[in-house]
Amino acid sequence: MGALTLRGITKRYGTVVACDAVDLDVERGEIHGLLGENGAGKSTLMRILLGLETRDAGTILRDGRPVTAGSPREAVALGIGMVHQHFSLVEPLTVWENVILGDTGRIRRSRACAEIHEMSQRYGLPVDPLATVASLSAGERQRVELIKCLRRDPAVLILDEPTSVLTRAESAELFAVLRRVVRSEGRAVVLISHKLAEITAATDRVTVLRHGRVVFRSATAATDVAELARQMVGREVADAAALGLIPAAPHVPEKAQGDPALRIRGLTAPGLTGIDLEVRPGEIAGLYGAEGNGQAQIGDVLCGLVTPDAGTVEVGGVPVDLRTPGALHTAGLGIVPEDRHRAAVVPAMSVAANLTMKDLGTRVWLDRRRLRRRARELAAEFGVVATSLDAPLSSLSGGNQQRVVLARELSGDPRVLVLAQPTQGLDVGAAEDLHERLRRCAHDGMAVLLISTEIEEVLGLADRVLVIASGRVAGELHAAEATPEQLGMLVGGGAG
Amino acid sequence: MTRTAAWSALALLVSAVLIVATGGSPVEAMQALVRGSVADATAISVTLLYAAPLLLIAAGACVSASAGVFNIGQEGQVLIGALAGAAAGLRLALPGPALIAVVGLAGALAAGFWAWLSALMHRLRGVDIVVSTLLMTFVAQQVVAFAVNTPWLLQESRLGRATVLPQTNKLPPRALLGSLGSYPGLQLNAGLLIAVAAAVSVAVLLTRTRWGFRVTMLGLNPAAAAHSGVRVTVVTGSALAISGTLAGLAGAVLLTSPLSTNRLQPGGTLGLGWDGLLVALIARNRPLLAIPVALLFAVLRSGGSFLAATGVPSYLADIVKALLVLAFVAPRVPWRRLAVA
Repeated sequence: MGALTLRGITKRYGTVVACDAVDLDVERGEIHGLLGENGAGKSTLMRILLGLETRDAGTILRDGRPVTAGSPREAVALGIGMVHQHFSLVEPLTVWENVILGDTGRIRRSRACAEIHEMSQRYGLPVDPLATVASLSAGERQRVELIKCLRRDPAVLILDEPTSVLTRAESAELFAVLRRVVRSEGRAVVLISHKLAEITAATDRVTVLRHGRVVFRSATAATDVAELARQMVGREVADAAALGLIPAAPHVPEKAQGDPALRIRGLTAPGLTGIDLEVRPGEIAGLYGAEGNGQAQIGDVLCGLVTPDAGTVEVGGVPVDLRTPGALHTAGLGIVPEDRHRAAVVPAMSVAANLTMKDLGTRVWLDRRRLRRRARELAAEFGVVATSLDAPLSSLSGGNQQRVVLARELSGDPRVLVLAQPTQGLDVGAAEDLHERLRRCAHDGMAVLLISTEIEEVLGLADRVLVIASGRVAGELHAAEATPEQLGMLVGGGAG
Repeated sequence: MTRTAAWSALALLVSAVLIVATGGSPVEAMQALVRGSVADATAISVTLLYAAPLLLIAAGACVSASAGVFNIGQEGQVLIGALAGAAAGLRLALPGPALIAVVGLAGALAAGFWAWLSALMHRLRGVDIVVSTLLMTFVAQQVVAFAVNTPWLLQESRLGRATVLPQTNKLPPRALLGSLGSYPGLQLNAGLLIAVAAAVSVAVLLTRTRWGFRVTMLGLNPAAAAHSGVRVTVVTGSALAISGTLAGLAGAVLLTSPLSTNRLQPGGTLGLGWDGLLVALIARNRPLLAIPVALLFAVLRSGGSFLAATGVPSYLADIVKALLVLAFVAPRVPWRRLAVA
């Protein structure tokens, strides 16, 4: 009898089937990997489990009894707990306040602290109950989330993409903790991930979802990365980085030449201290680091959303006045920012408008015919799949929205192309396509800066890797000498 | 759409219940509404006279709302427009057509500047625009009250021993907006033509020009707009100024229309500023859609004054209006999410 059994779970959104008769068996005392590309239905399945969505058909059994959670609170009562990819902690509050949030009855600080202390000992999750959450690193915050979740004594613990904010060392620690939870307490863990390496390293059994269906299930030891990749994508994929794998052969750097096309000097802003970096034409420079270490802030500065306190940005040897809106674009810097919906697109406007919004011409009246033609050309060139160019951008899939942004940024023939977490939320096919385009851009002499938290992506693409930790550049490695261990050391060293 | 219809039906039902509760008959009330608004040429004339300022105000509100700036101070901007218009109309000795143009221009510019002050406050001190435009309305009321109570400013001239009221002199007839052509019993005031032209211009401005594209972008995603090189403060300021300009023009039109006494009076806006804002709200900030909605509101205005004759309090027309607005806004409320919370 499994701790958690799903039978025939089906969920449709209009004509789209997000989950198609999904069966899943999670036993006590195992870590069960749920593997699938973005959009394969993993999240929908878990949202149904937690009572955040209703299912169209199917049964959920907990220890053999049919159950239905109407809300996350009811799910907790049923012994199902989840740590979300994006933390749900109240930053200005302390750790113990966050942990007991949602409890009823009298609040006793000393008891809560003692309880947290005892749990950190038991699970090996060191955390100071009196610290303010805002002052904690991403890894520490995740420990708080875990304690908060484990304190409610769940029989089934679900973790959604838990390592996206962690360094390699922190990920290893997390998996050790999970192992302990499973072994000594007989709980079941569901680990949701799109990273193959993680699934093979940390799970006992694995279920693969593709387009809402279960296509493969196996004991992890009885399968291998190649098999799982094939099952997840449904075909052979050569681009290891797109699969979340460390490339087998070291990357052969392109010949970078000439003066830097992008030069950042002493850039200081909230979360950043004296960042220096250069990117030369024809190279892909990777800026690698764990989430929350300043990558996002660099992206914001290069987007023109934040004016730095100090420092200069030069494009093609000419300093750019960062206070002028659109100055970076005019200077020849194209950027695909991290959070597309925040800064890169206007989701409610049409695909055509989003393709041309940086190139409206200089006249008072819009030349609508020219804009349309330009949009049509770009959509065709970059393979944007849309029912119509007049459809709102929000109707496009994540990969196609990404293509729209990339097409628009490249249409201005930039000297420098900056990409921040470009494959976040993309399926493998779209990621592969994007990686291929980046390589071609660099080959054609563009300077490419790749800001990424995915070590596989950085190692697979970058000719040179800069490591950022705690808002500083902690080190620089050439592709030939960059190994996961080396990078991990730099990331950890800077954070300490 | 069907949901909007259902909510509107519910609003009308509640209105009917209220009419019965106050001792009236819904059928009679409906007849009165029709009699007062569209039954004959005179009634239609009055309705169209109301529609003109409503549409002007709504067209302006569409501009600011498209830019994501909520100007809710139209009532004050209308007053300032009327004040400037009255000052120009009473003080300048110009021939007819020129005087009409100057009155309109003075009203438009003064109110445009008045609304722009809110953008300035936002830029300099970060004052919330919703709050400042609203509060500036009360300032505008005091400014107008001061002007019409101060003999050396705009208060009416003392004739013999007559009491002097807090209002200006009547504007000279050559400053007033006339009817376009003459029809038996029907007044087709020039103000309506101005208003329709304004609504069409706003629609063209928003969809066909670079500035309009930027306004739309700013309204839908300020970060993306800034990233694409939109100068946020400039576009915000100009959008606010244009919305004020149109409200001021409405003030001037109202001042010179047969609807009013053709004097500046503290209550001379008849609350049309608030109504115009509601018109834009129901038209979902689409200037062309605002034309029929403004007509509907004008019907409620002109018909509402006939309600009293049926024994129904005339403020019930306001309640009907409010319920209709709620009915149009209700389908956009995320009911499901509210239920979960």
